[in-house]
Amino acid sequence: MRSWFEWVGAMESSVALRESLNAYPIMLTSHVIGMCMFAGLIMMMDLRLAGVGNLNSSITQVQQRLFPWQMVGFTISIVTGLLLLWSDPMRFYSNFYFWTKNLLLILAGLNMWYFHATTYQTVDQWDNDPSPPFGAKVAGVLSIAFAG
Amino acid sequence: MSLQPFFLWMQEHAFSAYILNETWFSPIVQVMHLIALAVFAGAILVVDLRLLGVGLTRVPLAKVSEDAMPWMVWGLVALLITGWPSVMSTAMKQYYSPFFWWKMELLVLGLIFAFTVRRRLASMDEAKLGPVWPKAAGMFSIAVWTGVAVGARLIGLLS
Repeated sequence: MRSWFEWVGAMESSVALRESLNAYPIMLTSHVIGMCMFAGLIMMMDLRLAGVGNLNSSITQVQQRLFPWQMVGFTISIVTGLLLLWSDPMRFYSNFYFWTKNLLLILAGLNMWYFHATTYQTVDQWDNDPSPPFGAKVAGVLSIAFAG
Repeated sequence: MSLQPFFLWMQEHAFSAYILNETWFSPIVQVMHLIALAVFAGAILVVDLRLLGVGLTRVPLAKVSEDAMPWMVWGLVALLITGWPSVMSTAMKQYYSPFFWWKMELLVLGLIFAFTVRRRLASMDEAKLGPVWPKAAGMFSIAVWTGVAVGARLIGLLS
């Protein structure tokens, strides 16, 4: 793993990004804007799943109609995040929180996948309930916890 | 009237020294600031998207706005509480950073807009509003808040 990080860090494109005066502020600012969009809309969905917010909207409305915009935010975050990693891989390699963050991102993804494969299958029966089943609440709260 | 004496007072306050000396105080407060930001940004964006005619379109605009309002207000309160220590402990840096003032001016503009024009628009009968005004308000709101985010990020990077 270490040699892979070193290999990227020595590449011409990585050096160019690292030494550019404007690249870092632009990448980091775009990363934050993508994150606001992604985390904000995920939070709105989590609040609905937890049964505490956006209760005038059905679960499927929130899930289906916010999803494309969550993906726009996600794409901006991922692209700028990978560019940031590309620009200075060794800085991240030795950072404990970099690895913790990625582990939590994977756990958040697994939580999402598990919820869709199980509890969400019966969404038709509780779509308009202000308080969704326990599994949905767990998924919503876990999602906020992993994001935090 | 210059605000410099006030910022100097904040910088030299004992609480600022405490914040700067405690290793974990700032990181924890900043993480809480980011979580509050997710709540606030989501509550703003869900209404702005609806104003633009996308997102939660099957729910009436007034209902989307009504649902988002408490999260916007409490997100804002949490942002102010968790943002305050950062401003206080680095008061002089903030005072001399053009991006801090950029962020604060746009923040005030965004809040005034959210609590006046945007709120009125969101509570009105959509059929009477026509297609133009809600879209203009949604775009304006997104532009202002994006400006706040850019200013905020640049305080840390370029000052």
